[in-house]
Amino acid sequence: MTSAQNSPYAQGVSRRSLFRGAVGLAGVSALGIPALSACSSSSSKSSGSTGGNAGAATGTVTIGSNGSDQVPKKAFADLFAAADTATGLKTTVNTVDHNTFQQNISTYLQGTPDDIFTWFAGYRMQFFAQQGLLHDVNDVWDKIGGNFSDAIKAQSKGLDGKYYFVPDYYYPWGLFYSKSAWAAKGYTAPTTWDDFITLCKKMKSDGLSPVALGEQDGWPAMGTFDYINMRTNGYQFHIELMQGKQAWTDPKVKATFDHWTELLGYTSPGANGRKWQDAVAMVMNGQAGMCVHGLDQAGPQFQAAGKSDDLDFFAFPSIDPANGQDAVEAPIDGWMMSKKPKNHDGAVKLLEWLGTTEAQNTYLASSPNDVAAANNPDTSKYNALQKKSIQFVSSAKQISQFMDRDANPTFVSTVMIPALQKFIGDPSSIGSALSDIESQKKTIYAS
Amino acid sequence: MRILGVRPARLSLHAFLILTSLVWLVPVVWALYTALRPFADTAKHGYVSFGGSYDVKNFTDAWSQADMMHFFLNTFVITVPALVITLFFASMAAFVIARFRWRYNVALLVLFTAGNLLPQQAIITPLFRIYTTIKVPNWMSDSGELYDSTLGLILIHVAFQTGFCVFVMSNYMKTIPGEISEAAVVDGASVFRQYWQLTLPLCRPVLAALATLEFTWIYNDFYWATALISTGDKRPITAALANLQGEFFVNNNLVAAGSLLVAVPTLIVFFALQRHFIAGLTLGSSKG
Repeated sequence: MTSAQNSPYAQGVSRRSLFRGAVGLAGVSALGIPALSACSSSSSKSSGSTGGNAGAATGTVTIGSNGSDQVPKKAFADLFAAADTATGLKTTVNTVDHNTFQQNISTYLQGTPDDIFTWFAGYRMQFFAQQGLLHDVNDVWDKIGGNFSDAIKAQSKGLDGKYYFVPDYYYPWGLFYSKSAWAAKGYTAPTTWDDFITLCKKMKSDGLSPVALGEQDGWPAMGTFDYINMRTNGYQFHIELMQGKQAWTDPKVKATFDHWTELLGYTSPGANGRKWQDAVAMVMNGQAGMCVHGLDQAGPQFQAAGKSDDLDFFAFPSIDPANGQDAVEAPIDGWMMSKKPKNHDGAVKLLEWLGTTEAQNTYLASSPNDVAAANNPDTSKYNALQKKSIQFVSSAKQISQFMDRDANPTFVSTVMIPALQKFIGDPSSIGSALSDIESQKKTIYAS
Repeated sequence: MRILGVRPARLSLHAFLILTSLVWLVPVVWALYTALRPFADTAKHGYVSFGGSYDVKNFTDAWSQADMMHFFLNTFVITVPALVITLFFASMAAFVIARFRWRYNVALLVLFTAGNLLPQQAIITPLFRIYTTIKVPNWMSDSGELYDSTLGLILIHVAFQTGFCVFVMSNYMKTIPGEISEAAVVDGASVFRQYWQLTLPLCRPVLAALATLEFTWIYNDFYWATALISTGDKRPITAALANLQGEFFVNNNLVAAGSLLVAVPTLIVFFALQRHFIAGLTLGSSKG
C-alpha cells in the first residue's frame, strides 16, 4: 500500500501482465535509441581554444556531489567555502545521495548536469568519455600535471588519450585487522602466501575465523579476486582480463581460483548471507582475524565504534615472486566536467584549484579515511593509517582501481557478481563456470 | 466441544489474528528498538541483543543531518497541489462519465483507467526526452525546462493518479440517485451547477478516501522524484532518507530512526481521515 505501483490496478491479472510485458518491450527498444544517439553526438570542444581565459574567469560554477551523508557533506562544504575564497568564483553544490547519483549518472549527464561533478577513475570514467558525455580537461592538466605521479596520471585519461578526470583522493585496499587482538595472540603480518596460510591455520586453532567475508552485496569479494589474480598472474594480465582482452578460460584464471579455494577453507562460512559491515564487525570484536577491505569501509566503522586507533592493515601477501607485492588496489575518486558546462572557464579555474595539494588537504581534514591524490601533501595532520596509506600506495609499481571500476559495469553486475557468489557457496563449481563467464563476456564486451 | 467456554474455531481464529498482527508489527517494533540504540552498541552486541544505552539521539541526528524540515517542505509543495489538482480533474471527468449517456462513455472511462495499467518504468525514457525538450519560463522552474522542476513532478503525479480517481469517483457518483440531478435540471440548474453545488458536496466520503490514498502514494513516491529531479535540494523527503546512507558506511540505527520519522505524516493523515477512508472505499465499490 505504499506506492502508486501497488495500486489495486497494478496487481497481476495475467492479461494485464501480458500487456505490461508488451509495453515493457517497447520501453526497452525506446531505451536503446537515445543511448545510441548519445554515442554519436560527441561535441567536446577542443581544449586549447578556451583554456587561456581560465585565469580571469568569474561567476557561478555548479558542482554535482554524491557526498550526502554527514562526514563527506561537511568535507565538501569546507572544501567549497575555501574554493570561493581561493578562486573568487561562486560555487553552488548540488548534493544527491550516493546510490541515486551512481544509478542515475547516465540520465544525469544527458539531462541538465552541473558544470563539474564527482566520479571515479578507471573504465567507469572512460566509458562516459567514449559516449561523448564529458568535456576533456587537458587545459586543467597543463597547470596541475606536476602535482601527480605517473601512475595516477595514467588513471585520469580516457581511451582517446585525453584527460577527463581530476583526481581528488584515494584509499587503499589491504588486509585489515585489530591491533589489540593480534597483539594478544602474538600474530605478525605475513608477506608470502605460505606464511599467510600458516597464520590462518594458527588462527583457526585459536578458535578464530581467520578471514571474515560478507558478500551479500556482491562487490566485497571482488577485492579478494583482484589481489589473488594480480599476485598470481601480474598486473598486466589482470587489467587486460578486466578490459576483456584476456580469456577467462585461460589456465591462469583457474590458478587464481585455485588459490582462492585454498583460502576459502579459512574464510568465515555463510559469506553470501552476510553484510560486509558484519564482516568488519567480526574483525573489530575479535571473532575473526582479518578481512580484505578498503580503508573507506573498515575505517568509518572502527571510527563510529570509537576504535580508530585499533585498526591496522598490511599488503596482500605475494604468491608468485615474479609479481611480488608490486600492485596495489587503490580506488581513486575525483572530478569530471560535463559535456557543455554553463561556465567553462570558471569550471577550468575551479578544477585547477581542486587539483592542488591545498584543496585536497582541505577536503581530507574532515575525512580521515582517504588520502590526497596530489603529491607531497602536508602530512602533519594525517593520522597513522593515512600516513601508512601514502607510503603503501606510493611504493606500488602499479595501481588498480577495483573490479567494478576497471571492467565493463554491465559485465560485472550481471555476470561476475552471481559467478563469485556461486563460487563462494560452492568452490568446486568454478571449473565449468569459467567457460560460461567467457562466453557472456564476449557478448557483453562486443555490444 | 468448548475449551474454557470458547469454541475451538474461534480460538484458532484469534490465534491466527494475533500471529498475523505480530508478523506485521515485529519489523516496525524492531526498527523502533534499533533506532533507540547507539551504533556502537549494536556494532558490539549485534542487532539481536539487549543492553547498552537507549536514547533518542538517532532521531535528533537524523532530523538535523538529513535536513528533514527542508525536505518535508519540498514534499508538501509537491504533494498538496498534485492532490488538489488530481481530485479536481478526476471529479469533473467522473461527473461526466457518471451523469451523461453519450456514445463514447465507456471509451472515455477506459481511456482514463488504461493509463493506470502502464508501468511507470515503461515510459520513463520517452518522458525523460519530453521533459528535457519542453522549455518553461524561469519563474516556473529554475532549470528552464520541465525536467528537474517541481512543476514537472506535480504534472506527472496528476497524470498518473487521475485515472484511478476517475474510476473510483465515477462508480461512487453512479450510486447517487439520478433523480436528484433530474430535479435540478427541472429547476434550471446548469451543468456546472449540478456538478459543483449538487454532486460534489455529496461526494465528501469518497473525496476523503481518495485524498488519504493519494496523499500516501504521492508522498511515498521515490521513483519519479529520482528519475525526473537531478538537483538534490529539490527532491522530496523520501529521497532525503537516502542522504543518511554513505558510500560504504551505513549507520542502520540512524536510518531506522529517519524512516520512522518519515512515516509519521502518512499515519497522521490516515488516522485523521480513517472513518471516511473505509466508508468511502466500500461505498464506491458496491456498485460498479
